[in-house]
Amino acid sequence: MNNILAVENLNKTVDLTKTNKLHILKGVNLKIEKGEFVSVMGPSGSGKSTLLYNVSGMDRISSGNVKFKGREIGELEEEELAKLRLDNMGFIFQDINLLKNLSVIDNVMFPAMMLGKEDKSQINKKAEDLIKMTGISEIADNTITQASGGQLQRVGICRALINNPDIIFGDEPTGSLDSKAASEIMSLLDDINKKGTTIMLVTHDAKVAAQTERVLFMVDGNIVSQKKMDKYNKNRHELKERTESIMKELISNGI
Amino acid sequence: MLLRIVKNDYIRKKAITATVFLFIAMASLLLSSAISIIANLVHSIADLQRAAVPSDLIQMHLGEFDQAEIDRFVETHQDTIAMQETMVLQNLEGKDITFRNNESFADTVQDISFVVQNQNFDFILDLNNEKLNIEPGEIAVPIHYMQTYDLAVGDVLTVSLDGYQKSFTISDYARDSEMNTTFAGSKRFVLNQADYEELYAAQAAETEYLIEFKLVPGADLMAVHTDYVDAKLPGNGPNLIGRMFMLMSAMSDAIIALIMILISMMIVVISMLCIKLMFQAAVEEDIREIGVMKAIGISKKDIRKIYRNKYCIMAILAGVAGYLLSFAVMDVFTGNMRLYLTADLSGSLSYLLAVLAPVLVYVMISLYCRRMLKKMDKISAVEALLAEVDKREKHKKYRFALLKNKVFSTNTYMGIRDIGRRFKLYRFLVVIFSICTFILIFPVNIYNTFNSPDTCTYLGIGKSDLRIDLSRTDRITEDFLELQEALTNDPDIEMFSPLITCSYQIRNPENEWDYLNIETGDFTVFPLNYIQGSAPLSNGEIALSQVAGDELGKKIGDRLEVRVNGEVRELTVSGIYQDISHGGKTAKAHPGLPLNQDAILWYVVYADLQEGVDLLSKIDILKEAYPGASVFSVQEFTLQSLGNMIDQMRMAVFGGAAVSLAVAVLITVLFLKMLLSKDMSQNAVMRSLGLTLKNIRHQYMAASLTVLVLGIVIGGLLTEFLGELLLGLAMSSMGASRIDLVSVIWQSWILCPVMLFAIVGLSISVCCKIAAQKDLSVVLRS
Repeated sequence: MNNILAVENLNKTVDLTKTNKLHILKGVNLKIEKGEFVSVMGPSGSGKSTLLYNVSGMDRISSGNVKFKGREIGELEEEELAKLRLDNMGFIFQDINLLKNLSVIDNVMFPAMMLGKEDKSQINKKAEDLIKMTGISEIADNTITQASGGQLQRVGICRALINNPDIIFGDEPTGSLDSKAASEIMSLLDDINKKGTTIMLVTHDAKVAAQTERVLFMVDGNIVSQKKMDKYNKNRHELKERTESIMKELISNGI
Repeated sequence: MLLRIVKNDYIRKKAITATVFLFIAMASLLLSSAISIIANLVHSIADLQRAAVPSDLIQMHLGEFDQAEIDRFVETHQDTIAMQETMVLQNLEGKDITFRNNESFADTVQDISFVVQNQNFDFILDLNNEKLNIEPGEIAVPIHYMQTYDLAVGDVLTVSLDGYQKSFTISDYARDSEMNTTFAGSKRFVLNQADYEELYAAQAAETEYLIEFKLVPGADLMAVHTDYVDAKLPGNGPNLIGRMFMLMSAMSDAIIALIMILISMMIVVISMLCIKLMFQAAVEEDIREIGVMKAIGISKKDIRKIYRNKYCIMAILAGVAGYLLSFAVMDVFTGNMRLYLTADLSGSLSYLLAVLAPVLVYVMISLYCRRMLKKMDKISAVEALLAEVDKREKHKKYRFALLKNKVFSTNTYMGIRDIGRRFKLYRFLVVIFSICTFILIFPVNIYNTFNSPDTCTYLGIGKSDLRIDLSRTDRITEDFLELQEALTNDPDIEMFSPLITCSYQIRNPENEWDYLNIETGDFTVFPLNYIQGSAPLSNGEIALSQVAGDELGKKIGDRLEVRVNGEVRELTVSGIYQDISHGGKTAKAHPGLPLNQDAILWYVVYADLQEGVDLLSKIDILKEAYPGASVFSVQEFTLQSLGNMIDQMRMAVFGGAAVSLAVAVLITVLFLKMLLSKDMSQNAVMRSLGLTLKNIRHQYMAASLTVLVLGIVIGGLLTEFLGELLLGLAMSSMGASRIDLVSVIWQSWILCPVMLFAIVGLSISVCCKIAAQKDLSVVLRS
């Protein structure tokens, strides 16, 4: 077993008031293998996004263990966590979250420039390649106010890939897109995963989850079941069947 | 309900609310202090005038004197002269008076006169502005001497003269309405009548007469003076006008008041900028709230009311706090005034006037609110809800691409490019830092200017090493010639310039004969700085001080009629120079102008020493060789003459520095808080990408410090150019309109900027630390 992420008894509570605490994650256990494409589904408030942000070190866990590539991230200092995110992780958000004052290509190059492992011309070449791959070359020099939602999400994907991360976390990456754009983004992520990058994403959409190889179902702060699927067989018929079986699973779990 | 919204808004934004509160309080505090100081100045001068009843005209005289002649003159001028009194001075040398362990006043450049209190006017007062009443064996010492020589009531002064020795116990400070200021060349010590008579009888001191006149209100002072001179009454010394003393006394406090007003005005500007910034930030941050309020149907009027309440309540509270605090600050700044002018500073008028400051601050803030809120009205509910305002930037050209950066680290570049992208925001900070730099450097430069060796040029004196003043004795002319001969043969003396001052009659613009002290000699030896033209180089030329030139309406090349020994001569004005001594009305003529033998006032020699000759020991040698002469270093003379002002300036330097640094810190904190709250989501994005807090702080530091450098450069240049202009304006009424500000590089361009840099840098690093305590996703998802 080659786990990139191992989660044991993960708990997350937040203080609503001084006396009122909300227990969001309740002893979650999870393992994700290197190269896996995992999705997390569940109703609103089930804790799926919280799980994503806690295992990625974006938020601080309340208790339990989260090991990323064998390192216990709960013990890392703020600076070390930041370095880990910059070097080893990529993020794609539903709200895209690009830097407003940078152009498309500068948004893509920025994390690599901050990492400083390559020189500027190499970074530029890599960014141009990624932009070309995602089909948004025509807007490379535009400001982000001059691009559509689908284009911006592709920019987000390019940015997530620029430092060759071990894992990409996606928080509803297709949530704000129309079905055509969503399908394009998913096939892009599929291509990236096939090249060896681990992906963990949170989604509401069964069609999106059907394109991953494992779906985790969360209810009330815990993973209640999971569904494993074939990584390579994703023809139209297979996807339709997968979607239906995911829907059934959701219904059987009361989601 | 509306008040509750305002209250919640304060609680939600505690830090920013507190900072804005502090700002308004500071603006009110400084403005109140400035108004109080001016009011106190006016009040205390008036109070001193009331208690001391100073003379309107004083004629000094040395030698034979007949009071009966004066009395006859007064009798014939009863319509203009209300009172006349002659004060008989016993002039002593500083070295003749000792105290403590054989210390003396030998190094003073001012004349010392022992007197008794007048009967009718020109009273010398105690610190409570009461007429001094001295008991036998006691003495009242001028405030200047008490301060300079660190004397206290109860100390003993011993006077040792040829055939006379007596000790006096200091019983009081002597507040002298006419000669308090260091600009006045002499100081009066007050004795008991019996002690005075004993000193007079010993004939050990030089006797000088102060013939004083108090005129009927509205009487023509110059006409009385002209009649006096025409009547050939005793008058071989200088004549002085009461108004001049008042001007000189007010001068040092006036400069402080000017600086205070200037600083206050700048603080008010800064406060206004802050309010503007706050509004900008508030509008942008609360834009959704405004949208929601508009969408649910809250009227524009009520929305306006919420915001107006928010700032007006703050303006009232902070304004009152600042006003109350100003009483404490005033105490520090008016210390000097309390000592020299009056003890009674509780004049309710100044407190009442100072209320104007918070009122003014309130009016400005509410006017500004109104303007900003009108703008807010124009934002529609939909625009506000969608936060569409930012979309105006949609068609802006992209500048500052990351690849263009070849010099800086990515973090530094991100900071600097942020200035370019949001210059509208950062320009406030540039303006504020420029003002802070100005407030910091301007007083330092003024202090250095009045402390520099060149300052003597503003006193109408050329730059030289030493000055020798001859006492007026019967053989003064012989002494003068002998001294010149001795100096010619003295190998220690590199060069010297003998100058003689006489009183001459000149024709004024009203075509009447007026009096002017004209110094004759070679003014090329120790040249003055001329605002226009040059020294009187050839016979028939005269240079006028700026005040004299203005009063006589003369420019370069104009002709001036001068009456010399009964004969009228026409002189050509060759130059205008600056002189703040003796009321600023003086002139310098080519030695070709014959001396007015009846009215020679003083003989002075300026000299430069050969290189390597020790100035102080040479002064001692000369003092010993010419016991009748006063010898002192020109720099020491200048420092003593301007002593009061320099002390005041020192206080202004520290005050300016404190204000400037406090403002810089407060503004930086406020600005940063605003930026951080504006950039909260963008910073969260950066952190999610893997930037550390240090990286983000680095970006803010780069932006703020770049802006600070810009501000320092602009502020420094402002000081150099605008500062000179302002100082010139302030000083022009006193006789020096063009003052070259001296900036000591290490102080003005290194120490001050480094101080600002350090304090701003520290504020940024402390403030930026607060940014990251929550889970990142909370910010990202909000």
